[in-house]
Amino acid sequence: MTQTLTLNVNGQAQALSVAPDTPLLNVLRNDLALNGPKYGCGLGECGACSVLVNGMAARACVLPISAVVGHEIVTLEGLAHEGRLDPVQQAFIEAQAAQCGYCLNGMIISLRALLNRTPRPTSTQLRAALEYHLCRCGTHLEILEAAERAVDINAAESLEAPRD
Amino acid sequence: MTDRPLSSPRADRATLPAALASPKRFGVAIRPPRYAWNGEHFVSDRLVDVDRASVADQPGRIEVVVEGNFVGVVADSLDAAQNAARQLAIEWQAISDTGHGNDVRAHIATKTNSSDPLAEHGTPSPAHRHDYGWPSRLRWGDTPGWVVADCSEQSLMVWVDSMSPEALAHDLATLTGLAREHIDLYGPSALRDACLGRHCGDDAAVDAAIMSRRLGYPVAVWLDATYARDVQALGEAQRISLRADLAMDGEISDFRYHQAHISGDIAAVGLWLCGCPPVQPAMASPAATYSPYAFRRHRLATRRDAGTHSHNDGFAEIQQAFARESFLDEVAHDSGQDPLALRQRHLDDPRGIELIESVSRRAEWGKTSSPADAESPDLLRGRGFAYAQRPDRHQRIAEGVRSAWIADVEVNRVTGDVTLTRLVVGQDAGPDIDTSRLQQTLQARVLSSARPLLGRAPTFDEWGDGSEPPPDRDSATSSALVEPTDTLTRRATNDMPATPGATALPEADLAPAVAVIANALFDATGVRFRQPPFTAGRVREALQDPTSPLQKNVSEPPALRRGKRWFKAAALTAVAGTAMMAWPWKGAIAPIPRPAANLYSAETIERGRLVAAAGDCAACHTAEGGQENAGGHAFDTPFGTLYSTNLTPDEETGIGQWSYAAFDRAMRQGISRDGRHLYPAFPYTAFAKISDADMQALYAYLMAQPAVRAETPANSLSFPFNIRPLMAGWNALYHDATPFEPAPEQSDLYNRGAYLAEGLGHCSACHTPRNAMGAERRGEQRLAGAMVDGWEAPPLNQQTHSPIAWSEASLYDYLRHGASSLHGVASGPMAPVVAGLGELPEYDVRALAHYVAAQMGVPAGDSESVQADAAERIASTQSGPMGMEEGERLFEGACAACHMESGAPTFSSAKTSLALNTNLFSAHPDNVIQSILGGVHADHVPGSGAMPGFSDSLSDSQVATLTAYLRARFAPDQAPWKDIESRTSEIRSYNDNP
Repeated sequence: MTQTLTLNVNGQAQALSVAPDTPLLNVLRNDLALNGPKYGCGLGECGACSVLVNGMAARACVLPISAVVGHEIVTLEGLAHEGRLDPVQQAFIEAQAAQCGYCLNGMIISLRALLNRTPRPTSTQLRAALEYHLCRCGTHLEILEAAERAVDINAAESLEAPRD
Repeated sequence: MTDRPLSSPRADRATLPAALASPKRFGVAIRPPRYAWNGEHFVSDRLVDVDRASVADQPGRIEVVVEGNFVGVVADSLDAAQNAARQLAIEWQAISDTGHGNDVRAHIATKTNSSDPLAEHGTPSPAHRHDYGWPSRLRWGDTPGWVVADCSEQSLMVWVDSMSPEALAHDLATLTGLAREHIDLYGPSALRDACLGRHCGDDAAVDAAIMSRRLGYPVAVWLDATYARDVQALGEAQRISLRADLAMDGEISDFRYHQAHISGDIAAVGLWLCGCPPVQPAMASPAATYSPYAFRRHRLATRRDAGTHSHNDGFAEIQQAFARESFLDEVAHDSGQDPLALRQRHLDDPRGIELIESVSRRAEWGKTSSPADAESPDLLRGRGFAYAQRPDRHQRIAEGVRSAWIADVEVNRVTGDVTLTRLVVGQDAGPDIDTSRLQQTLQARVLSSARPLLGRAPTFDEWGDGSEPPPDRDSATSSALVEPTDTLTRRATNDMPATPGATALPEADLAPAVAVIANALFDATGVRFRQPPFTAGRVREALQDPTSPLQKNVSEPPALRRGKRWFKAAALTAVAGTAMMAWPWKGAIAPIPRPAANLYSAETIERGRLVAAAGDCAACHTAEGGQENAGGHAFDTPFGTLYSTNLTPDEETGIGQWSYAAFDRAMRQGISRDGRHLYPAFPYTAFAKISDADMQALYAYLMAQPAVRAETPANSLSFPFNIRPLMAGWNALYHDATPFEPAPEQSDLYNRGAYLAEGLGHCSACHTPRNAMGAERRGEQRLAGAMVDGWEAPPLNQQTHSPIAWSEASLYDYLRHGASSLHGVASGPMAPVVAGLGELPEYDVRALAHYVAAQMGVPAGDSESVQADAAERIASTQSGPMGMEEGERLFEGACAACHMESGAPTFSSAKTSLALNTNLFSAHPDNVIQSILGGVHADHVPGSGAMPGFSDSLSDSQVATLTAYLRARFAPDQAPWKDIESRTSEIRSYNDNP
């Protein structure tokens, strides 16, 4: 049954006519053309579809949009701030932490969520945050390096100008 | 109490403005020692002085409101206000000194001795003539109640149970100067002009409004027996004089009817007292009068005031029919004619004559029976007849509605209580009439109109005719003060079955209702009542005092008239007591055309929607992926497969042709419209407890939905369960159709919860195990949990297997939000139940939680030790058991991303640890398997989790391995489940091919 729902995505209100049990991922990719989040397993197992909801990581493939009405959704596309990449994105570029890159959306989103809560995470906390993100290319070492670098860049940027 | 309105928008606690729901200040209006309506003017003692100092020593804040001759006292509690009212020193100037007249009584006497409207010069005194009256005010119902007003400069809100809201609103507009649209009336039942006239709730509402307007805050007034003084003072509103001359053969040769509307509508007493009387209509004008009879000569005259508000035609017709039919009854009796024959000989309308004939046959008119009832010598029984004919909307008499009523009453000569024991109503409204719906409509409307006429509860005695209430009454009213808002609502719930919410009932003619009772009363007692109401007090007074002015025509004493009693006639409709229908046989109830979509009011349909939500009809009556309520959902029972039926109003495949009577019978007794027995998978065993008002609303709602054509698949049941008539025996053994009875020792909250849980909510239908015959077990097995539809409904009694004890607070969270942080989310067949509950008001869900908590024997809140226990369980399951690597791998891959913490909060993960999940602690793995295969789809319940199903990605063996692992890891103190893989395979095939 189609309803008109309004989602707040990357700071913009988006009115949509969809069934309320539609997975958020489908709406983001198909209706809003936000292709940062990827379709992987469709079961919430791999993490490629991750987005931020209220600053927390969420698996968009298993989240019905009725559950996110009224919440603040940010996708990979919405991370950059005033033309400047998010520190986590910047770190992944600098570390060249990609083989095929399909999983990186989820890696970046989960790290962003971690840094929102824990600005100076330990290596163990970084690993825990990435634990349920699957990468099939075996780029784990580069990804971990990027994560460590992200912490540093993030800390430096926070010193210059606190992000809002 | 069973009938607390679920939704009626204007009565719901939730939507009732807070100021009206919980008033902080209480007012008492002080009437002058003498006041009266004399037929033309309102006269009263004049207020000279109020000594405010006389209440200065009273505790708390006391305010005295004086406006003209109106005096009110407002205090922090009703007791304080009543005390202050007694203390307040007021000086009145007696009415006889005011120059307006000698005495109130004299005014009235003058009026009643006014010129005889029927007198004619030169004619001899007629053979028969009598006067009939109609009171200005009826009494408010059986019990006292609150009236609350909140008046500001811009608006006025009033809570009152008024039968004449338009007239009341006019009074309030006159009082406040506010436009009608700024006056909001709220009431426990749908406020609309109906019934038999104004009652003194209107006077109380005006009193409250006067005080609130002056003080600027909401004021509550207690409407109790003291307002009977207003009924007395306002006296008669109508006087109808009838005269008939009879020819030698008994035929009425000359018939005269004269009705003087002294004033059709007398404003509230407070309005007169405070000096802003309504504009009096200047001129009275002739109004239409109908008589169905053709007399040789007749003169009919009715005068009506211009600008009268209660120009409700139905109301006028009831008054006219009351006088005319009472008079004809008297003429028949005095001239020794049969009352029916007298009517018939003056009708030249074949349809009317035939109708009277058929009603007479049906009621066995004239059949004599045993003269006395040895067991109850104080009971007098009698029978009366009345007939009316109403023109159609184009004022054509011949095309109109004819109705003939025969009523049987029982009168207790000691208490004066009148009980309407049987009513046979014949009505000819042309072809195509839905008789069963008409029956229902009439029954409900007769009930609501008989109530102010008769007053059946013993407490009505205390509601006497202006007498002071007995002392113990005072204490009773004070104790009700503890929670005024509750009293407001309870007042509504004690009502007789509400009138059905029909917006238009062209076929229900109530005109004979009052006359038929008056005539039956005369037959029973020999006393002629020429003015309603026929309350116990008036009847008792008339019976005990033969010279009472109420009783102007004592004929032979009742004992001599016992020859023509009709004791043995089978009850068709028992109007007294509970409105239960007796069904001596289970015949088919005639099909009807689908009721018009606009038959029921929006309020009724909305209430019905909530009833359907609470009863969760759609959960069972909607097939997977099918249209809502179109049926076809399969139920796998030990007796075979059953399919739910189509509840949409499709005439061929649904319930479009079901009358309300058929619907009510199916809901309460499990008998389909065509007379077939239904199987108790349909929980009529629970629905029998639903109140009448809720049932009617549910019918209205279902009938207002779109019709969906959907054939119900044939059931495939094993012998002997495929023989439906055997269900009659089953019902005799296992079905208790008694309506819900609240437990007096329990709280309102508990009883409301019990009504919802045992009736509408039918919790036990799923949560109670059934015996070999498919009947719910009793005793300790009640609510002990059961398997339903491939899922386990866990125990709701003390046998709960939840790892963490439930509490009333957790149950509330679970039922209201679909999730409890200590127990997890509602899923499977329970998810739509919670979604349905989401429509219900807060109070109802709290009541359900309270009741279930009582069944479980658990506390109100979660103690710290329970919280600590939960934390310890979660901590001890952070790592998996040894030797279950395959299960661990599956868990890490498929589940852990959402079910284990990763160090950073995630929005989409499960909020409750599996270590607290009730399903993992059950004796059966079914709910765990179901959840893994099908997932948890709580899209009905926003905010609770959603889990994908893994039926396409995990094999039976993998599901079994994972399930065993979950049990071992998260419920380590429980024995491992056996045969999980085969159960998985069974559930999978059941889900695929239900």
